[in-house]
Amino acid sequence: MNQLILIMPILIILSASVILMLLSVYDKYSTKNFIVISSIFLIIALGFSIFSFEDMYSIKVYSDIFNNVLIFDSFSNFFTILLILGTLLTILIGEHYFLHRKYFKGEFFTILMFALFGMILLANSNELLTAFIALEIASFSVYVMVGYNSDDNKRVEAIFKYLVLGSFIGAFYLLGTVLIYGATQTTNLSEISTYIATHSGAELNLVYIGITLILFTFLFKIAAFPFQSWVLDVYRGAPMIITAYMASVFKIAIFSFFLRIFLQDIASIIDFWDTIMYVLVILTLVFGTWLAVTQKIVKRMLAASSIVHTGYLLLAFLALGQNGEAAYATMFYLIAYLVTAIGAFGLISHIISETSVRVTYDDFKGLSKERPFLAAMMTIFLLSLAGIPSTIGFIGKFYVFTEAINAGFAALAVLAIFATIVSVYYYFRLIATMYFYPANASCESVGFNDKRVSTYVIAFLAIVTILGGIGSAIVFFIPIPSIDTIIEISQMTVRSLFIK
Amino acid sequence: MSADVLSFIIFLPAVVAFGLMITTKNVEAVRNIAFLATTVVLALVLKLYLEFEPSAGMQFVTNASWISSYGINYYIGVDGFSLTILMMIAILIPTSYLLLWEGRTKGYWINLLLVQTGVTGSLLALDVVLFYFFWEVMLLPVFLLIGIYGFGNKVFTTIKVTVYTMAGSLLMFVAILYLGVAFNSEYGYWSFQYNDLMKITTLSYEENIWLFLAFLAAFAIKIPIFPLHTWIMETYKNAPTGAVFLLSSIMAKLGVYAIVRFMIPIFPEIYVEFSMWFVIFGLFGLVYFGIAALMQDDIKRMFAYSSASHLSFISAGIFSLNEYGINGALYLIIAHAIATGALFLLVGIIHEETGTKSIKQLGGIAKTAPIFTVIFAIMLFANVGLPGTNGFVSELLIIFGIYEFNHTLGYISALTVIIGASYMLWMFQRAILQNRDGECLKMRDLKIKEIIGLTPWIILVFLMGIYPDIFIDKFEPTVTHYINDILKIGAMK
Repeated sequence: MNQLILIMPILIILSASVILMLLSVYDKYSTKNFIVISSIFLIIALGFSIFSFEDMYSIKVYSDIFNNVLIFDSFSNFFTILLILGTLLTILIGEHYFLHRKYFKGEFFTILMFALFGMILLANSNELLTAFIALEIASFSVYVMVGYNSDDNKRVEAIFKYLVLGSFIGAFYLLGTVLIYGATQTTNLSEISTYIATHSGAELNLVYIGITLILFTFLFKIAAFPFQSWVLDVYRGAPMIITAYMASVFKIAIFSFFLRIFLQDIASIIDFWDTIMYVLVILTLVFGTWLAVTQKIVKRMLAASSIVHTGYLLLAFLALGQNGEAAYATMFYLIAYLVTAIGAFGLISHIISETSVRVTYDDFKGLSKERPFLAAMMTIFLLSLAGIPSTIGFIGKFYVFTEAINAGFAALAVLAIFATIVSVYYYFRLIATMYFYPANASCESVGFNDKRVSTYVIAFLAIVTILGGIGSAIVFFIPIPSIDTIIEISQMTVRSLFIK
Repeated sequence: MSADVLSFIIFLPAVVAFGLMITTKNVEAVRNIAFLATTVVLALVLKLYLEFEPSAGMQFVTNASWISSYGINYYIGVDGFSLTILMMIAILIPTSYLLLWEGRTKGYWINLLLVQTGVTGSLLALDVVLFYFFWEVMLLPVFLLIGIYGFGNKVFTTIKVTVYTMAGSLLMFVAILYLGVAFNSEYGYWSFQYNDLMKITTLSYEENIWLFLAFLAAFAIKIPIFPLHTWIMETYKNAPTGAVFLLSSIMAKLGVYAIVRFMIPIFPEIYVEFSMWFVIFGLFGLVYFGIAALMQDDIKRMFAYSSASHLSFISAGIFSLNEYGINGALYLIIAHAIATGALFLLVGIIHEETGTKSIKQLGGIAKTAPIFTVIFAIMLFANVGLPGTNGFVSELLIIFGIYEFNHTLGYISALTVIIGASYMLWMFQRAILQNRDGECLKMRDLKIKEIIGLTPWIILVFLMGIYPDIFIDKFEPTVTHYINDILKIGAMK
């Protein structure tokens, strides 16, 4: 396959960020123009990545130039599509929010594109340092976006916390890389994997320590215990739409790289971390649940509940060691969470675009009467987050729990079910608030204009959430990829990891 | 008749509901169309009932692949058990609409329609995951019904009932997945069909007990079996009439049905081994809830306890390991659904007209509303099990069943049935017959529409009571077959 076509998506995103940067100098382009331009670039990039998605492949592009640091296979392509799609959805769903916040100017979209560039690079990295650089490109862009409009106190706190902690944890990653290099004389993943295969016993000690340190970064970025404490303040402080972006798209990028490492490179020694992961899953679920129940602000509740979802993902991740099928469960759950989280966070950002108040549970009172359509959509997303049947979240949970039990972690699955039971409480509480109380006098309806891009995207995501849960096998007349197709695609992409 | 008729029966109400949701705002149109849709379902079920061949096992089967990578199928079908309950649902729902006719909003009718899809779906599903799907989905409209149209502390009530019942069903969900995984590791392919899961042999005794308990959690909460009943009092008291009717006379019965359909066939040896415990639990619940019912002042709470008491009796019948018990339990499911459903609807009318549901404040209704009183009395006697009504036949069968199971328990069950009569008649005497001090209550008599709605129920009460064979013949072969299979498998394992 033509190597140029393979790297086209990443090139397009990179040039998009540069072009947007240049354009943002001019005052005559409004925010609307930037939304349109970046969407066009994203759609073109998406087209290219879908174009190359036909069959299984695994190519180290321009290996003489890049010295094998980048790998392009169906697996990375799968994630590239998800990342681009997620970013596109974020921009479109945030259209209303962007237009009503003066501080979203051209530069913002530049940074967003840089973040996406970093993430795609991360999904394609085949080398630890490249991955680090990619991760930092993405992280720094996200730091900036979190701190956008820094005249908000909460926002300053958020960016400072995130930046300091993130950089601190980055140092662990580098230390881990150094230790691995010390043992193996390489940072290339394939060569590390060869080293692991040919050595054993004490020779691997440094590798174990190194990978453990790298895992810290992983756990921090996905906000697993014990690195979960930043999530609430950062998610709370960041602009709503950025929270959506971080909770879904950024998490996918992190998982793409670490899934690759776990499946492809260190699969043979993965058992080493089973015990610690086992404990971490328990603690992540327990702490996330406890945090989510105690929140009074909806945004913080969703943030805290994202820790619980991280717990489910880690559960599938842990099952990987015993049962390779769990990779598909992880991938499906990531898709399910992407759709639902962007929907839920995006919907709240849409609601607060003009009013800027709806943050606590109380502010949601009477939403079903003021804006019945949005309340219904929000209900769908919350049901999906809670994993109620007929939504995509249910199928995601089904896979994760099935594979966890299949891998022999029935006790953890039961614990995860208890976390789900509690999650029914805090998600349904929000539904109850929307439907069962009269509206606050202060938030009387003021003729909302809901005929806009954001609303259509929200509706689209809600439909995807439902169809993903019912499956087109039953609704046979709708020609969309069914649940089976998604699983088959993930199986195919995972197989592409093992092409030598 | 084509096999897809079952799918049509399941999904027609939901499709109509979604159609109504986006098309019209006119409440009367919504109500009329909803009524029409449920009548169409009734006609289809009647046709199905007549065409059903009692001795032929599972019929009208549809088995299409749904999520093929995990072997989950859209697998539905009907046998003697489910047909009888399906018939009951199909008759009760449209006629109950006639009693709920006035003063509802659009959302109320739409939610009622959605519940119907949920209950018929879980009734006909033969794939366990599909069953779970409908089982959870039917809760959502009830959540909305109680939350929007309920009384008192309705938000707390509705969240409590949702979390409570979902806790049970999520535990069952883990058990389902565990069974699926066990099946996959034994046979090398995925399947969640109940008749496949029955074949699993690799599970250890402890595993089986835990799985059995997880399933039981879901169904025992819904039924409710003592001591998992704490949600129903508040719920029945605060929920709107329609929701109480659905919960008590249809959804609670589905819990019993699910025990028969899934739990017992999958875990026959546990069923055989622990049947004594469950019969004792059932009888204890009968007494306990009966005594609790005696002490209630709120008439809806009293019926909640009475309903729980009867359902405990039904589950005692289910666990009695013989044909009498199970036939009787199935018969009592129908009889109780009719009687309790009618009583809750009638009490709903009392509450709406007089504004009170306290037994002490009621009284003198017999004078102002004679027809109401007559129908109330008929349903009450059916509920108590007076000879000539369907309640009598079914309670007698269950008592026979328990007697055959264990003589002592049989005597006890025969004696305890009297408790039911005492609280019911005492309530009837105080709330309906006895004259009230002071001003008369503003109570209207039944309207023609309501009488028409209740007529089929009254006919059924007596027909089932006097000539039970025509109904029992439809499901008896299934039960006989079933019992033989279970005992055989249980003994084999």
